[in-house]
Amino acid sequence: MTDTVQLTAERAEAAAEVSVRDLTVLYRTDQGELPAVAHADIDLPTGTITGLVGESGSGKSTLALSLMNAIPAPGRISSGSIQVNGVGDVTRLEGRALRRVRGRALGYVFQASQNSLNPLKTVGKQLLDLGRAHDVQDMRGLVRRARELADEMGMDGARVLDSYQHELSGGMRQRVGIVLALVLNARVLILDEPTTALDMLSQAAVLEIVRKVHRQEGLTTLVVTHDMGVVSEIADRLAVMYGGRIVEDGPATEVLQRPAHPYTRALIGATARITGDTDTARALPGRPPDLTTVPRTGCVFRERCPLAMDVCAETEPQLLTWAPDRRRACHADPATTAATGEGA
Amino acid sequence: MTAPTLGAATAAVPPRRRSTSWTAARRVVLRKPGRVIGLGILVFFALMAILGPYLYPGQLAVDPESIYAPPSGAHWLGTDFAGSDVLQEIVVGARYVLLTASLSALFTAVVGTGVGLVAGYHRGLADSVLMRATDFILTIPAFPLLIVLSTVWSFANPLEMSLVLGLTGWGGVARAVRSQTLSLRERGFLEAARGLGLPTRHIIVKELLPNIAPYVAMQLLLSVIGFIGAEVGLFFLGVVPFSSSNWGVMLNQAVFAGGAMNSPEALGYLLAPLVCILLLTLGVVLFLDAVDELFNPRLRERS
Amino acid sequence: MIEARNITRTYRTRGAFTGERVVQALRGVDFTLPRGGAVSFIGESGCGKTTLGKILTGLETFDGGELVVDGVELSTVPQRRRASYFRRIQMIHQDPYSALNPTRTVDQILGDPLRMRARQTGDRAAGVVDRAAELLELVGLEPDGVLPKYPHQLSGGQRQRVVIARALTVDPEVLIADEAVSMIDVSMRLGILGLLRDLRTRLGISLLFITHDVATARYVGDGGELHVIYRGEVIERGPTDTVIQSPVHPYTQCLLSAVPVMRGLEEPGPDRLVPLAALDERTRTPGCLFAPRCPFADERCTAEHPVLGRTGGVEQEHACFHPVPRRVVAVETV
Ligand SMILES: Nc1ncnc2c1ncn2[C@@H]1O[C@H](COP(=O)(O)OP(=O)(O)OP(=O)(O)O)[C@@H](O)[C@H]1O
Ligand SMILES: Nc1ncnc2c1ncn2[C@@H]1O[C@H](COP(=O)(O)OP(=O)(O)OP(=O)(O)O)[C@@H](O)[C@H]1O
Ligand code: SF4
Ligand code: SF4
Ligand SMILES: [Mg+2]
Ligand SMILES: [Mg+2]
Repeated sequence: MTDTVQLTAERAEAAAEVSVRDLTVLYRTDQGELPAVAHADIDLPTGTITGLVGESGSGKSTLALSLMNAIPAPGRISSGSIQVNGVGDVTRLEGRALRRVRGRALGYVFQASQNSLNPLKTVGKQLLDLGRAHDVQDMRGLVRRARELADEMGMDGARVLDSYQHELSGGMRQRVGIVLALVLNARVLILDEPTTALDMLSQAAVLEIVRKVHRQEGLTTLVVTHDMGVVSEIADRLAVMYGGRIVEDGPATEVLQRPAHPYTRALIGATARITGDTDTARALPGRPPDLTTVPRTGCVFRERCPLAMDVCAETEPQLLTWAPDRRRACHADPATTAATGEGA
Repeated sequence: MTAPTLGAATAAVPPRRRSTSWTAARRVVLRKPGRVIGLGILVFFALMAILGPYLYPGQLAVDPESIYAPPSGAHWLGTDFAGSDVLQEIVVGARYVLLTASLSALFTAVVGTGVGLVAGYHRGLADSVLMRATDFILTIPAFPLLIVLSTVWSFANPLEMSLVLGLTGWGGVARAVRSQTLSLRERGFLEAARGLGLPTRHIIVKELLPNIAPYVAMQLLLSVIGFIGAEVGLFFLGVVPFSSSNWGVMLNQAVFAGGAMNSPEALGYLLAPLVCILLLTLGVVLFLDAVDELFNPRLRERS
Repeated sequence: MIEARNITRTYRTRGAFTGERVVQALRGVDFTLPRGGAVSFIGESGCGKTTLGKILTGLETFDGGELVVDGVELSTVPQRRRASYFRRIQMIHQDPYSALNPTRTVDQILGDPLRMRARQTGDRAAGVVDRAAELLELVGLEPDGVLPKYPHQLSGGQRQRVVIARALTVDPEVLIADEAVSMIDVSMRLGILGLLRDLRTRLGISLLFITHDVATARYVGDGGELHVIYRGEVIERGPTDTVIQSPVHPYTQCLLSAVPVMRGLEEPGPDRLVPLAALDERTRTPGCLFAPRCPFADERCTAEHPVLGRTGGVEQEHACFHPVPRRVVAVETV
């Protein structure tokens, strides 16, 4: 590690609400324990929206879940630390202390949360259950807060609390998920694929609401998605994952304009866009790896990388700072990857 | 476009040798010891039912010298009220019990699945008619029917018994299969099959059936147990005439003639069939665990 | 190739407590899909896109209008003989995970319809194996690797290609792609879209492309038309680029405004528009269906129903009393 890296790390830590260091999460499979997230280093600076993009199986949900130390069996956090402002290292918490942190410090909206509400209970009942689980004394206050949040999100709070899941549209369920995540005054909001099953209009509405709540409540937000469009629409910062590694991060617009990792560049180039020349867009060759097919040595992207060199097969590139506030994990010269960042 | 590259990526994955269904099935069973034990028990009883009568041909030997004898070298499980060997009775009686139960289970499975599939797939008129029939069947209580019928039939033939049990028992399977079919019907692959214009027979037999097969197989195994219970119960209560020696008759004799409830004499005679039924149940339960994997290619090949 | 005239479909469902619910899924849709042409339908969830696709493939009935396939009006064809017309129109399902039978290998999945087709055309069944391999190659898969596999052993993109190959087994002339790429990994979506475009040019297959993601509609090839559907009614249609670059119907404008902007590469369109309310399928009105959500609605809009036509001197057809071209889609910077 170079001095510059140390410096940026310290600088970021000062202002980071959540900082993840050297996080490795293993899942037990038929082929032994394999890393779904390997040596992840990332900060969520206070007050920003960070977008985490990557294809299916790249480990996004796993990384997001580990922020709450909620990796389901047969997985486990095998190393690393996750410092959350005012809480300490989440990976060291257990039992009651951990449960308190979930919900109170960290609000999580699950992937496919449209379907994760209990179909047999009204939203209000589920809210009370949540309060009871967290030993909330002031239930009235809790309900009031939920109604406020729902109203803020453009829903009729009272009606929503009296509704069953099936009476709400997909976009509304997603918003209810956010209400439940924030009602205990969490400072950090984690959204896993918040718009995936929604159509364009509902997606735009949900994104707008995320942006608004984020600003009004002064949150630190992590949005996990596979959709470049979604992150670029709302995120301040962008982290790109591939094969369990964070391969690039930095300010969102900069990364989009000048991607410094071949994968980022390819992903941008493979996004169907509403403007520009359709002939220049290219799908990536090959298929996204999963736990068992990800290369065990060298760069995880090398099988699909147009710039792969001999060294890529031998040494795994480290996530290093190559320009102010920009990191990437690639052996190639940044100039070659960024030059054609437009996908053109 | 990327077409050729994707093809290349596929080629890179070494083509897996398609394991025949037998080796795959063996692997599934061997994966957990419980399954092996379960299968072992089932095979053991199946052999007993098939070979039993050949092992002890002819009438049961009666030995008036030793009535209700305790287990000994000569009579491993003791003897009964007439001095017959209990082990021998168990073995010989297995065929009737298991054959009837299996036939009944097969009957329920075939009729229930057939009716459920057709009703669920065709919906509309066929569905209404078949489901009314099913409801009617569900209202017929098997026990009273058997009692009435026993005045006419002796139930000496396993076929008669299984016909009655099976005829009254398929309603539940039919309902369950129908509801599964209804939900599968909306799945993309069935819509695609219809869109391609594939014949209905093909759709039902090749597309639908394999998907409900695990359920049907489980149902089949479970209903064998159910029918053994029902049948043994009938004989135990003495509501159907004793026509041959079987486990139910043994229980009945042990309790009502041998007084097994208040004297230890006939205890072996009582316990033997009970233990057999319990063992069989255990075997089925242990083996059930493997059924899902046997039919599901996704689960089957993991190892 | 296909001509739909004024197709309507109304669903009546009866809930236990809610009473009868009537949804007009399609309210008189007409369009013409020429040989080798492409028509895209876009609209938000629940506006009737899938219903339309199912009607065209014979999986769903319709209660009004006419469907003409190859110049033959289908209601004049006896029920039994319609199958041969619907055979020419095949659907590519949205979800490649449920569109393939998990208990069957790719070999069987392609073999059965191929054998059926061979019987229909009187070809020898022996050609089936070659034909399956040929189709897989056409969709960019390597036959030897894929044929013996079960669906779960394939990736999403590979499955979707198998689904397309299966649709091609019965020599269709029209493919209906209902959200054909939405469940595919982003990096492979363009591959499938490119394949669909190839099938148009190489085999002269017509494409009906159904999506809620407007951007993907641009990738299915030249000469395509875009039809915007709202609550079962087409409210704007025209050449794809025209409708995207200068939409005139406020609903189209809302829909296009919702396409995420790639900040850094694109600027939001200057006239971005947001609907006033969420979709409510139950509202009934004699006027414009979009009026309750339209920022420009006036009295006429709530009283009178606008019909599809070419008014206001714009290139595309639309159903709005106040057609104003607006630039809502993102603009490329650089
Ligand atoms: N319970 C589990 N057991 C074994 N492997 C798992 C388990 N959960 C996830 N994995 C594997 O870990 C890897 C990362 O999974 P994860 O769910 O984090 O991906 P993701 O990026 O969120 O993908 P998606 O976009 O599909 O949600 C995948 O290869 C997945 O197969
Ligand atoms: N079988 C049915 N019974 C009752 N209502 C139905 C049925 N199928 C569809 N509908 C209703 O018809 C309307 C149109 O549905 P359709 O599935 O065609 O919409 P869509 O445009 O494909 O939506 P999505 O984008 O969500 O797939 C919806 O309001 C839906 O609830
Ligand atoms: S390290 Fe090598 S293989 Fe990996 S992304 Fe960089 S150039 Fe490509
Ligand atoms: S007719 Fe009126 S309400 Fe309807 S879209 Fe046009 S302006 Fe809006
Ligand atoms: Mg995920
Ligand atoms: Mg649909």
